[in-house]
Amino acid sequence: MIRYRNRAGALRRIAAVIAVAFAPAVTAAAQCPEADAEAMQWLDKMSRSVHQVSYHGVVTYQRDGQDMQVMQVSHSVGDGSSSEQLTQLTGQGAQVVRVDHPLDCVHPGHKLLRLGEPAQGDYCGLARHYRFRVTDGDRVAGRKAVRVLITPRDMYRFGYIMDLDRKTGLLLKTTTVGRGNQVLEKFQFAELSFNKPVPDSVDINLVHQAQHPVPSASAQPATLSLAWQVGWLPQGFMATDSQPANAGRKTFTDGLAVFSVFVEELDREIRPGEGMFREGSTTSYSRGLSLEGAPLLITVVGEVPVNTARMVADSVDRVR
Amino acid sequence: MSEQLRESLSALMDDEASELELQRLLKQLGNDAELRATWVRYNNARAVMSGQEISHPQVDISARVRQAIDGTPAESPSLRERLFRPLASFAVAASVAATVVIGGQQLAQLSGDEAFSNGTVAAGGVSPVGMVNSLGATTVQASYGTQSVPTLQPAARTAYRELARQRMEMYMQEHAEHAALNSPHGLIPFARVTEIRE
Repeated sequence: MIRYRNRAGALRRIAAVIAVAFAPAVTAAAQCPEADAEAMQWLDKMSRSVHQVSYHGVVTYQRDGQDMQVMQVSHSVGDGSSSEQLTQLTGQGAQVVRVDHPLDCVHPGHKLLRLGEPAQGDYCGLARHYRFRVTDGDRVAGRKAVRVLITPRDMYRFGYIMDLDRKTGLLLKTTTVGRGNQVLEKFQFAELSFNKPVPDSVDINLVHQAQHPVPSASAQPATLSLAWQVGWLPQGFMATDSQPANAGRKTFTDGLAVFSVFVEELDREIRPGEGMFREGSTTSYSRGLSLEGAPLLITVVGEVPVNTARMVADSVDRVR
Repeated sequence: MSEQLRESLSALMDDEASELELQRLLKQLGNDAELRATWVRYNNARAVMSGQEISHPQVDISARVRQAIDGTPAESPSLRERLFRPLASFAVAASVAATVVIGGQQLAQLSGDEAFSNGTVAAGGVSPVGMVNSLGATTVQASYGTQSVPTLQPAARTAYRELARQRMEMYMQEHAEHAALNSPHGLIPFARVTEIRE
C-alpha cells in the first residue's frame, strides 16, 4: 500500500514536467515491480531529446589524469531530420559531422532506453540490469538538473551518474563509475543554449563525416574467410547492426554501454595470450589464439569492465 | 557451469574475487569438469604469456589447497568483518590460491587441449607475439601479411599489452561510430578517439 502511494506520488510529480508517454509508464510500473517509473521516464525523455532538441554548447571531457578536452557540440533539427557536429577546441582540432539523420531513425541503443519501443520486448529491459534512483542534481551549465543514479546489478557493466536538464531532459553531465566507486570518465556541458545559430569562428583541421550503419542492413562487406559468432553476451546486450557471420566487427549495446568485437585472421601462429589496456572507461582486450588451427587475434573495445571483454572474447566461436 | 560460477571464475582471474566467491569456486572445482576446463583455458593464456614453462609434476594439489583454506576457521574474521573488509586483502589470498590450484589442474588437462598444447606454444616454427612493432611505426592491418614480423623477446606480457593498446587506437574510431548512434551521448563518444581520421 505504501509502495503504491509512493509510486503514484512520483508519477504525479513527473507528470507536471513530462507530458509525453505518460500511459506507458503506468503500464511499466505495473509490470516491473523493480523498475523505478520516474527514472525510466527520464531515460526515455533523455533518449528523445538528444535527437529532437536543437541545442548548441561547449562540452568538457576528462578521463584518468589527462588534460581536459573541450569541444563544441551542436545539434539542429530541421524538416524530419537532424544534423549534428562536434568540433574539438583543444587537441587535434578535428570536426565530426552528421547530416540528415532522419528523426524516425532510432538505433537499437536508443530503443532500449525508450518506453514502448519494440526492441525492448518488455519495459523492464534496462531495469533488469541496472538499479535506478532519481534525486536532485547539481546545476550544470547554468541549468537545473535532475540526477539519475544508475548502478549495475551485475559485474558486467559500469555505473553512471547522469544529470539531465529538468526542462528538456537533455543529458548535461555523465560520470562513469567503475568498481570501488572509481570515477573513470566525465562528460559535462560547460555552456548550453537552445535554438541559437552556431558560432562560426573555429579553426578546423579535419572534417570527418560520421558513418551511419543502418540497423537492418549491412553496409560492411564480409571481410574474413572465417564465419564466427559471439557465444556469450552479458544479459541485456544486443547487436547494434546486422553483420554477416564473417564480418571483421560486431558491436553490442545494452542502451548505456557499447562494446565492439574485432576479429583478425593472422597468417601465422601467434603465441597464445592476452593483453589489456584501459583508458578512461574504455577497455581494449586482445586475445591471441588458434581456433581449429586458424590463428586469430580477437579484440574487444568498449566501455565495459575487462572481465566482460575477456568473457566475450573467450566465447568467440566458429559458425558452421 | 552456472553463470554465477563463470562470473566468479573471471573475477578470480582478475584477482577481484571475494572470499565467498573463492570458496564457492574451490568447492565446485572438485566435481565440475566444465569449470575446471574453463579455468584451465583462462589460465593457459596467462601462463604462456608470462613465459612459464609447464613442467610441474602431475599432481593435483587443489584438494590440499582447499583443505588448507577450509582448515583455518580459528583465524577467520566474523561475517561482519569479512563483509566490510577491503576487497584488496581477499585479492591477495585469491591470487595465491589460484596459482597453486591451477599449477596442479593445468597438468591434468593440458595435454588434451590442442589449441594450447605445449607443442603449439613452444615449437620452433612459431613466432612469438613479436608482431607488435613497438618502435612506434603506424599499425596497419597489412603488417600481419606482407611485412616481416619484428621479433620481441621475451616480455610477451608487455607485448600483448602493447598489442591491446595499439588495437584500441586502431579500432576506437570505428567503435565510436557505433557508440555515437547507440548510447545517449550523441557524437561525444568521438572524444575518446585519440586521433580522428577522415
